[in-house]
Amino acid sequence: MPAVKRHRDGAEKEKEVAASPFMPMFESFRDELDEHHDRREGIIKASRDITAASKKIIFSLQRVRTLKSDIPPKIATEIKDRGAGMRIQFESIAADLTGINAWRYQRQISPGIQEFMEAISFEHYLRTQKLITLEEASKTLPAGVDLTGDDYVLGIFDLVGELMRFAITTMATTGTLPGSKSGENFAEERDILMDLRVLRTAFEALDTTSCGGTGLGKDVEKKMEVMKTCVEKVETAVYGMIIRGRERPKGWVPDLADDRAPPVESY
Amino acid sequence: MASSSGMIDPRIFEHLQTKIDEDAEVRDQIRAITQTLERQGRNGQSILSRAHSTPAAHLKPVLEAAEVSIKDEIESVTKLAAVASSSPYYKYNNLWSRDIQNVVFSILFCGWLGGMGTASKPAEPGKLLTIEEVGGILNVPVNLKDRDAFHITIEEYLQSLITLIEELARLAINSVTLGDYQRPLQISQFVKDLHAGFQILNLKNDSLRRRSDSIKYNVKKIEDIVYDLSLRNLVPKAGSAA
Repeated sequence: MPAVKRHRDGAEKEKEVAASPFMPMFESFRDELDEHHDRREGIIKASRDITAASKKIIFSLQRVRTLKSDIPPKIATEIKDRGAGMRIQFESIAADLTGINAWRYQRQISPGIQEFMEAISFEHYLRTQKLITLEEASKTLPAGVDLTGDDYVLGIFDLVGELMRFAITTMATTGTLPGSKSGENFAEERDILMDLRVLRTAFEALDTTSCGGTGLGKDVEKKMEVMKTCVEKVETAVYGMIIRGRERPKGWVPDLADDRAPPVESY
Repeated sequence: MASSSGMIDPRIFEHLQTKIDEDAEVRDQIRAITQTLERQGRNGQSILSRAHSTPAAHLKPVLEAAEVSIKDEIESVTKLAAVASSSPYYKYNNLWSRDIQNVVFSILFCGWLGGMGTASKPAEPGKLLTIEEVGGILNVPVNLKDRDAFHITIEEYLQSLITLIEELARLAINSVTLGDYQRPLQISQFVKDLHAGFQILNLKNDSLRRRSDSIKYNVKKIEDIVYDLSLRNLVPKAGSAA
């Protein structure tokens, strides 16, 4: 007998102890809703774990000092291990994200996927000095887990912040802007600031007014501001480097009071 | 723009823009239908609202008018199902869920009042249409699990049930005003049975939970009416009931 009825005012209600005729229907609803909530919670948990692992990968990658070359072996091993862990997380929920349930838990999985996007696009950039495409990024996810355009864009927005951090830390420790070569063959050499500006231009050209308050439209405005600030910070830092030039002692760190702590400290 | 750069494959952002634009187009198509549905829904509910001032014996014309209105709503739902089925169901379902809940409520209320009869299932006052019966009336699947298409979800059905309970609490009061002392008893039993059903659900902190919290107040409202009637010896004898 499911659910004992509450008797509000005494004996008269005793007759009603007979179960409600709707009980079987509600029991099947209960089972369905329980399954739904279990799936949902599993996905939220996985999303959180994926976010945490992605953040750690990003921290490791922030220790890289060179652009357009292989990730140093020690860091590469670290991120490979974390990547494998994330893959297991993704695979554990892939079945709950397919068929009719595709998009059902989008809100729950989205934060994890965005952070994951940020990590793999950062890694891709450090190795190739290129922006990863949506197709390339999709392929890094296990089958069954879709990468939506929204999550891709929002992840790339966050990538700008990582590039800013990478550019400024590298400038502070090596005295050069990543990507710039001492040679004068300007045409084919791009430095990270040029890349950041290209990204900024592309973002600004993206018309998201039609998205309204849903998905992309909701977050894009805030992220756009943060992204612009990041690019400007690098611009200012490069300006500082040029104007103060060689007189700046090696290892001097520009004042970034409102910035996150440098990644190394989080270990 | 950005031509000098090998940083970004220009197709990336073109492709994203296309996606955004396609998305907006689907939304517009859906919105056009839900706007019609909303208007039809309001019309249907205003017709059904006449039940509050119409004695049970004279409900027939009200129910017939409501059924005509519901037919319009069904047509819109058919159109919506066609448009929506080309996209993943849960991508856009929040665009129409509210309107669907209203349609389902109209069907449930009309059915409870004794409308929505079909050849195989005759109408019967006081009857609760199941989610399957509602799906049958709307001509769409319910609670789909094995394929991705338009359907009525359990949550939508439950939301409509809560609206039905609220409406019946109002009807209980108005029945007394109309001199019908039998119907509040019938409503009381019906709503209590539904309430018992809701109590076995493990609801999380979502909109369904918040609204279902209101059921107990409606149960109480109806119990108070029954109390008032029995206090004054106005409750019809068991023999004369039904």
